[in-house]
Amino acid sequence: MQFDFIHKETWLHKINPSFKLIVILVLFIMVLFIHNINIMMNYMVVILFMFLLFSGQPAKRVILILIPVLFMFITTAIPMIFFGKGDTTWFGWGLIHITEESFFRGIHVGLRALIFTGLGIIFALTTRPVFLFYSLMQQLKIPSKYAYSFLAGLRLIPIMIEEFQTIRYAMKVRGVQHKRGMKGFYEVLRKYSIPMLSQSIRRAHRVAVAMEAKRFSQVKNRTYYYKITFSWNDIMFVLYFLILLSAAYFISVQYPYFAITDVRYK
Amino acid sequence: MSKGLKLTDILVTFVIAIVFGIVYQLWTPFYEFLGGLGLHIDQLSYGMWFIAATVAYLIIRKPGVALLAELAAASGSLILGSPYGVELLIYGFLQGLFAELVFFAVRYKRYDILVVSLAGAASAAASLLFDWYKGYIGDLEAWNLALMIGFRTISAIVICGVFAYFLVKALEATGVTNLVRPASKEDYDALDK
Repeated sequence: MQFDFIHKETWLHKINPSFKLIVILVLFIMVLFIHNINIMMNYMVVILFMFLLFSGQPAKRVILILIPVLFMFITTAIPMIFFGKGDTTWFGWGLIHITEESFFRGIHVGLRALIFTGLGIIFALTTRPVFLFYSLMQQLKIPSKYAYSFLAGLRLIPIMIEEFQTIRYAMKVRGVQHKRGMKGFYEVLRKYSIPMLSQSIRRAHRVAVAMEAKRFSQVKNRTYYYKITFSWNDIMFVLYFLILLSAAYFISVQYPYFAITDVRYK
Repeated sequence: MSKGLKLTDILVTFVIAIVFGIVYQLWTPFYEFLGGLGLHIDQLSYGMWFIAATVAYLIIRKPGVALLAELAAASGSLILGSPYGVELLIYGFLQGLFAELVFFAVRYKRYDILVVSLAGAASAAASLLFDWYKGYIGDLEAWNLALMIGFRTISAIVICGVFAYFLVKALEATGVTNLVRPASKEDYDALDK
């Protein structure tokens, strides 16, 4: 099993993974300080643009990814729209109280979640975990016992999936019937989770023992099979956000869509 | 006995975290479905997001494991392409850290249901703290905010406290925990007999 969702390589795939992670974290923190819905909307467009053009995914999969994301946008925005504080009432029915302020705040919160999703999915779709962990060891000096352990853990996922199937078939072939309701739910959970967890822990323990038996050590000058370096793509990545986000900011200040500059309740 | 985490501890922690990383992926549609029902019903399932920390702590019983597990579970979800994206890293870090602080407060000596429930509640507090900045939950109507905090805390205590405790109890019966736990005082006493 391959641990990447790569369809077509784009320049995003060639960026140094640690660098990409840091830039994305900086962008993420930036979003937390945006309270103006106009800037948020343009920011969103910049991220969406990158996802649609450079993620290297076929159109069908892009749509498949966007459906749950849109649903998440709605479930994030609705509570704030319905139950947020505000003074200019648009609609009121029982507990639901939609106001102008709460509506825009809800949309703002939803957009923020969408941007986080966009950044996360761009990262997940364009980064090979193996290269990410090699880069973390080489550029960010993460101790090798953490990086290799995580990689080994990821490699166990296909075995876990296979095991899950085995347990399912074993129960099916024996005609196990599950009870309904909360108790039945707990029973199902227990029947799957205990064997899965115990086998996974045993396997992890064996892998660790084997690694140590083969002299896995943490020497300072260890050599790496993959050398992860920097390239012009890294600069391009920063320039993309620098230029387009500045433009996004400028446009939202000069030509705002709404007169609201701060969605927080005063 | 050396202090700190050995390769075995780290690998086992990560594998537990990855198992829960997958569980989180399966939990996501369920949580989103509940979210569609409104009135913060989804918060009753929120406690699942903190379970990696308490389960890892109960199994391995060493300092740092809770934080590492929660962070790794969040990173795993991110790598697997969770729809929540980068915010997971911050949630994972804060939730793990707050749970870890509870275990630190008991000096990593207690493994009972009360301590893990407290750790779950602490993780819930951490997530609420971040939601305060991210989701402006302070701008919700007061009754609604109280409902949200109440539901989330209850679910954290039920899932990360009670459920995690009984899950690990059942795991202990398989004998697998003996592989990874440090030798306790009783083990040494047993040798002297």
